[in-house]
Amino acid sequence: MYKAIRIILLCLLSVIVLFPLFYAFSTSFFTPQDFTAENAKLLPSSLSLRNYELALSHRYFGRYVLNSFITATLTAFLRAAISAMTAFAFTHLRFKGQKAILTLLLTTLFIPPDAMLYENYVTVARLSLLDSYLGIVLPSLFSASAMLITIGAYLSTDRDIYDAARIDGSRDPRYILSILLPLTAPVTITVFIQAFISSFNSYLWPLLITTRPKMRTVQVGIMMLGFAEEGEYGAQSASIILITLPFLLLLAAGRKAIEKALQGGISS
Amino acid sequence: MKETDRKAYLYIMPSLVLALLFSFIPLLKTFVESFLTISQQGKVLGFAGLGNYISLFHDTAFIASVKNTVIFILLFLPLNTFFTLLAATLTRRKKSLTAIPEFIFFTPLAFSLSALALIFKEMFRGKVSIINRLFGLDIAWLDESFPAMAVLVILGIFLDFAFDYILLLSAFRGTDRSIIEAAEIDGASGATLFFRIELPAIQNMLAVIIFMALKDALLISAPVMVLTEGGPFRSTETIMYYYYLEAFRSGNRATGTTIAVLMVGLSAAIMTLLSRRRRDV
Repeated sequence: MYKAIRIILLCLLSVIVLFPLFYAFSTSFFTPQDFTAENAKLLPSSLSLRNYELALSHRYFGRYVLNSFITATLTAFLRAAISAMTAFAFTHLRFKGQKAILTLLLTTLFIPPDAMLYENYVTVARLSLLDSYLGIVLPSLFSASAMLITIGAYLSTDRDIYDAARIDGSRDPRYILSILLPLTAPVTITVFIQAFISSFNSYLWPLLITTRPKMRTVQVGIMMLGFAEEGEYGAQSASIILITLPFLLLLAAGRKAIEKALQGGISS
Repeated sequence: MKETDRKAYLYIMPSLVLALLFSFIPLLKTFVESFLTISQQGKVLGFAGLGNYISLFHDTAFIASVKNTVIFILLFLPLNTFFTLLAATLTRRKKSLTAIPEFIFFTPLAFSLSALALIFKEMFRGKVSIINRLFGLDIAWLDESFPAMAVLVILGIFLDFAFDYILLLSAFRGTDRSIIEAAEIDGASGATLFFRIELPAIQNMLAVIIFMALKDALLISAPVMVLTEGGPFRSTETIMYYYYLEAFRSGNRATGTTIAVLMVGLSAAIMTLLSRRRRDV
C-alpha cells in the first residue's frame, strides 16, 4: 500500500517538476500559429528548427551568453583567489587585530546585498564602472561564506608542511600555489562552482548597471530579446532552451561535485 | 608596523576593501541618511529625526507592500517546506530506481530566474493558457490579484526546490543508520519510525531551510520584477520591489534608505536565529 502511494506521489511530483522544462522544450518548436490556437497546445504541429535559427541569428544573443560566461568565470576565479589569500592569512599568519578583522568580515553575512543596491550602484557609478565587466563582478567578489569554508579547509591541513616549506626557503605565494591549493582542491572547486552559479544567475545587479546591449548578461538580455513583442514566442522558448540545456548537461555530468558545493555553503 | 603584520594585511586587503566598500560603508551611509532630509539632487537639507520612518509608516503603498510580502511568506513558507520535504522523504532510501526521481528533482537547478519566469509567463498566459486547459480552469492568472500572487509563490517554490531538496536528502541519508535499524528490529512501524526517529533527526537542517526560505521570501524582489512587475494593481508589489521602485525609479531617497535599514535589521535577526541552528547541522 505504502509502496503504491509512494510511486504515485513520485510520478506526480516528477511530472510537476519537469513540466516547465518540457513546456519550454515543446514550445521551442511551436509556430506562431501554434501559440494562437483556440485550445492551448501541448505539442508542436511540426518539428521545425526555425525558432532555433531565429534565436541563434539574433544580433545580441551570442554576445549575452559570452558576457555571462566571462563575468561568471571572472567572479569564480577572483572569489576563489581572494578567499584563498584571506584564509591563508587567518590560518597561517599571526597579526594584530586578527580576531577583530575576522569578526568584521563575518558580519557581512548579516547585510543583505539587495538592501544595499542603491548605494552600491552609486559607488560603481563613481568608479566609472557602469557598463563594464568589472562593475558587474566587483560587489560579489568577496563572500564571507566562501572565506569561511576555505578557512575551515586550511585549518585541517598539516602546519608542519608550511614550516618545512619555509625552512626550505619557499615563499608564501609559492607555498599557497603548489602545496596549499592542491591539498584543499575540493574546497576551491566548491567555492568556484558556487560563485559561478550565483554569478551566472544574478539578475538585478547586472540589469541595473548595464545600459548598452553589448554589455548585458544573458539573464538580463533574454528578457529583452524582443521576440515576444514580434509574436515569436517560439524563438523565445528556443533561446531559453539554448541557455538551460548546457547547464542540464553539466548537472548530469558533475552532479556529485555540484551537490557538494551547494551543501558546502550551508554547513559552514 | 612589524614585517609579519604588514604581510598579513596585504593578504587580507582585497577582502577587507571589498567588504568595506560594498557592505559596511553603504550600510553606514544608508543608516545615517535615513535620519536626514535629502533633496532629489542628493543635498542634505537637515536632520529629520524619525521623520522619514514616520512618513514611511504613513505611506499606503509601503503598507500595501508589507501586506503583500506577508501574504507571500504565509503561502510560500508552508508550501515550499511541504513539497521539498515530501520529495526528500519519498527518495530518502536508496532503492533501485530512486536515482531517476532524484535526478529529476535536481533539474530545476539548471534554470535561471529569468528563464523560468519567462516560461511561467507562457504557461499562465491569460485564459487560453496551457495550465487552464490542462486543469479545466478559467482564470486570467497574471491579470487578477490573488492568482498572480499564486503564480509568484509557485515560481518561488520552483526556484528554491532543488537546493532545499538536496540539503534535506543529504540530511536524511546522513542520519545514523544504526538507530533506525534498531527501531526496525523492535518492530516500529514505518510511520512511527519516520515521525519519531527520522524526522527529529533532521530537524536542524529543516529549521535551517525554513529560516533561509523566510529570509529569501522577506527580501523577494527580482522574481516580482521579471514575472509581474508588481501588478496587477500593485497586488504583488513586495517590500523590496517597492524599495527598488522608490530608490531607482522615483528617486525617493528617504523611502529607500528607511526600507533598507528596516530590512537589514529584520534579515539580520533571522540570520542570527539561523546561525544558532546552523552550528548543530
